[in-house]
Amino acid sequence: MLLIFLLAPFGGSLLVLFFPSDQRGATAWFAGAIAFVCFLLAAGIYPFVTAGGVLRFELDWIPELGLNLTLRMDGFAWLFATLITAIGVLVVLYARYYMAAEDPIPRFFALFLAFMGSMLGVVLSGNLILLAVFWELTSIVSFLLIGYWHHNAHARDGARIALTMTGMGGLSMLIGLLLIGRVVGSYELDAVLASGDAIRNDPLYLPILILILFGALTKSAQFPFHFWLPHAMAAPTPVSAYLHSATMVKAGVFLLARLWPVMAGTEAWFWIVGLAGLSTLLLGAYFAIFQQDLKGLLAYSTISHLGLITVLLSLGSPLAAVAAVFHIVNHATFKASLFMAAGIIDHETGTRDMRRLSGLFRYMPITATLAMVASAAMAGVPLLNGFLSKEMFFAEAIETHLVNSLDTITPYVATIAGMFAVTYSLRFIHSVFFGAPPADLPKRPHEPPRWMRAPIEFLVLACLIVGIIPGRTIGPFLHTAVVSILGDRTPDYSLAVWHGWNVPLIMSFVALSGGVGLYFLMRSYLATGIEGPPVFRLLQGQRIFERVLVTLSWKWARSLEQRFGTRRLQPQMLLLVFLAVSAAAVPLFRRGFELPPLVIRGIDPAFALLWALGIACAVGAAYQAKFHRLFALVLLGGAGLITCITFVWLSAPDLAVTQLLVEIVTTVLILLGLRWLPKRIEESRPEDIPLRVRFRRLRDFLLALAAGGGMSLIAYRVMTQPTPETIASYFVERAYSEGGGANVVNVILVDFRGFDTLGEVAVLSIVALTVFALLLRFRPHPDSQDIPLQQRVQNAFDDDHPDRNAGDSIAEYLHIPSTIMRWMFPVTGMLAAYLFLRGHDLPGGGFAAGIAMSIGFLLQYMAGGTRWVEERLRIHPLRWMSIGLLVAAATGIGSWVFGYPFLTSHSQYATLPIVGKVPLASAILFDLGVFSLVLGATVLMLIALAHQSVRAPRAHARPARTEREAAQ
Amino acid sequence: MSHLTDLPAWAAIAVCGLLLMGAAMTLIGSIGLLRLPTFYDRLHAPTITTSGGTILVCFASMLCFAVLQSRWIFHEVLIIVFITVTTPVTLMLLGQASLYRHRFEKPQDVPLKQGPHAEKDRE
Repeated sequence: MLLIFLLAPFGGSLLVLFFPSDQRGATAWFAGAIAFVCFLLAAGIYPFVTAGGVLRFELDWIPELGLNLTLRMDGFAWLFATLITAIGVLVVLYARYYMAAEDPIPRFFALFLAFMGSMLGVVLSGNLILLAVFWELTSIVSFLLIGYWHHNAHARDGARIALTMTGMGGLSMLIGLLLIGRVVGSYELDAVLASGDAIRNDPLYLPILILILFGALTKSAQFPFHFWLPHAMAAPTPVSAYLHSATMVKAGVFLLARLWPVMAGTEAWFWIVGLAGLSTLLLGAYFAIFQQDLKGLLAYSTISHLGLITVLLSLGSPLAAVAAVFHIVNHATFKASLFMAAGIIDHETGTRDMRRLSGLFRYMPITATLAMVASAAMAGVPLLNGFLSKEMFFAEAIETHLVNSLDTITPYVATIAGMFAVTYSLRFIHSVFFGAPPADLPKRPHEPPRWMRAPIEFLVLACLIVGIIPGRTIGPFLHTAVVSILGDRTPDYSLAVWHGWNVPLIMSFVALSGGVGLYFLMRSYLATGIEGPPVFRLLQGQRIFERVLVTLSWKWARSLEQRFGTRRLQPQMLLLVFLAVSAAAVPLFRRGFELPPLVIRGIDPAFALLWALGIACAVGAAYQAKFHRLFALVLLGGAGLITCITFVWLSAPDLAVTQLLVEIVTTVLILLGLRWLPKRIEESRPEDIPLRVRFRRLRDFLLALAAGGGMSLIAYRVMTQPTPETIASYFVERAYSEGGGANVVNVILVDFRGFDTLGEVAVLSIVALTVFALLLRFRPHPDSQDIPLQQRVQNAFDDDHPDRNAGDSIAEYLHIPSTIMRWMFPVTGMLAAYLFLRGHDLPGGGFAAGIAMSIGFLLQYMAGGTRWVEERLRIHPLRWMSIGLLVAAATGIGSWVFGYPFLTSHSQYATLPIVGKVPLASAILFDLGVFSLVLGATVLMLIALAHQSVRAPRAHARPARTEREAAQ
Repeated sequence: MSHLTDLPAWAAIAVCGLLLMGAAMTLIGSIGLLRLPTFYDRLHAPTITTSGGTILVCFASMLCFAVLQSRWIFHEVLIIVFITVTTPVTLMLLGQASLYRHRFEKPQDVPLKQGPHAEKDRE
């Protein structure tokens, strides 16, 4: 049930992507339905989590590493999950009306649902590593959501800042969580929660605390990492309402609360968390007063309220924790509604600048009333929910928890921050809704559509009800949540509105009246319309961030590049080879490296001759590589063939088949690439070469010799080692009985070592994409930019004869070869199928088949030309690659369905008509994935080269043609 | 499967003969590739290797394994077919490439003029 709960948003997110972009209503309805179903599920789960009950779901992932897919729902997680889904439903409804017709709606809702899923994941994770995974997922999805209007530079910047900050925090949190796992010995949340004392007394406690706090504080935008949140306001307002008030920024405080039983209560916790919380509370509120942007004001106020929650959690007393949880809920309700109201104002007037807005009450009275109630809750006016949690906060602030200066100033800071909160709430309402009617607004304001207002109405109603009768409404749910955090330490608390005349009430009163007074005192200053608070506006977090980023990623990188980098390939290769040689040489010399004596015995003359040939080819290739590339390539092919024959000779037919096919493909691909290399002319007088060049060549030669010689020495040493009992015999014995195949190599690849193969093919696809990307940006040397001579002659001939079409000559010349090559295509396909099917028992397999098939495509490109082939065949290498990866991964996951570990294969024989008995292991599906991926990767490289030759003449053909026309 | 020593004498002689003949043809082809004077002559030399030599060796293989396994074996026929079908492609491509080069570098050496360029060259 928990799994469905978690997967529903993700599944919905995928489905939403398939909606056509003009179906706004349907898309929104679908997304809303998903969110609503999740909400109902959460409601249905409630009976299981009352009174400290915990719902669990476990699935083995990598049990050896302590990594399990553990989902765990207790009261606190339930409260959060309900908040996420309920506000999710409301925001979807709101977004339905908010988003403009030209925005790509499916992308928005897909990301929105994905975010909801990841947030639920954070809340429900019962395993620390899983928590970190979902945590990062929220960062990434929020990055995409903030940058949703990616044509807007502010949105891009804001998204980048948010991702950098929360990503850094996430990384540090992951390290902290790993350290916790080390201390506790398990990553399971239950185990961690049970071993609070062990963690607090561990010498690693302080590093853990700092690392985790860094993660939590960046996520919750606490000072001094708060500045990303105001910049994230470039996001669409539904995103701000959802992510930046109700859910994502709460993830930080969620983590603090989650780990509260384990980590809180120490001096270090109190100081770090308390200091961060208090300064955020005060500065956030102070900054909020001076914002001119509606959403900016709300963002700073959010920062300040998060600071309040952080302070509460820092105090380490159970009552404060209750207040923190309560305030999380309250803040989510009133802040989300305020964000939505700000969005409505923006939507209906076209601006969010408070200097331009005024007197909107007469145009949108209902929205104005709702916003007033919500901001009164924000300011902490009695009879609203904000008042209750603020009152609890004041009460806690007065209490002495630890005797130190920070604890002493807390009540004063709290009162001042409360005052500021009243001031900015008042400013929000007064400057937007009252005063003279607005002039020069982009749009004429009016009430929003009925249903756009509905979510706000609902939330404001919740504020009111909770504020007036808290004990009957939120009480039981809050209790469930608190019990799950505090367990036996749950204190007695009362949610009543009226506690009698006491100090917190007086503080509230001071804050309220002081705030109102402050607002009227500051009106003249605010009216000047200067953006940002006095003094502090010079010190902008974003500016500092940018400067640090520029220094790190640009200046330092540039100087590093200038000092060590080069655009030339040769020095790069030199460095690379040098590093490789020294990396191998240093440990070998330190450990002692002895060569066993060379024993010459029983040399087969034919084999020796073969190798002499191979060596000659290889040396010749190296010798000719500089000036006679084609010749070198031919020799290289010869060396490859000798290797292939060697494999056959030493009874490794599998390797031989693969080697042969790979040899063909590489030779042809390099051959196609040769055309784009610049010409090299051999120096006519070798005695003119300067000394420096000679020295460089000698150095390079020696280095190459060292690398090659070292490699052969190592190989020699390894091969003369007497073979101990290795894993090989295990594979040979078990290949048929467990893998169901007689071809041990193939069984190892697709079964025993299937996971490795999966990784390797993934790497292969990355390599193919890289080659493709590099060739896409490749601009050939001017020497080789022109069309080859032969083509020019043929084209000129075709152009000169009116009865001929362009390309006729070449077609005539290649008529017979290309006919034969075309007919080879089905034959190659047949060969590939054959190799593929026999792979499980005899030499062959997916890899060899994939390469064989790609040779078929190569031939087609060579025979018919790029355009001819692409007019006739549907070639989608990217699709093939992705299908291959998916199939391979899905085969692995498929074994989960039957209750086996990842990539367990099942084998059986099936009889097909004509073909006969065919081994039908599930590994063959995996092999099919490998086949598709290899084919895609090879063909991708091929078309990258082929398109180069289509593209280059196009750029040059036009001027050539116009010249000729001008001459005639 | 039985071992090579089980091969009866008549078959062994025949197989050896075929193998030797195939090897000799290949050798002749290789010598030709080395010794013949012009490119166009040399072009023909490997053909004898690929067609004659390969076919004979394939026959030898067919005979040998057919006798050893006491059944007809035709796998090698495929090799013969593909070799004979595809060799002309190489031959033609090589020939045409060299023809082009000759026409530009030393038109007087070009052995025979025909094809679309004949008219142009005459001009």
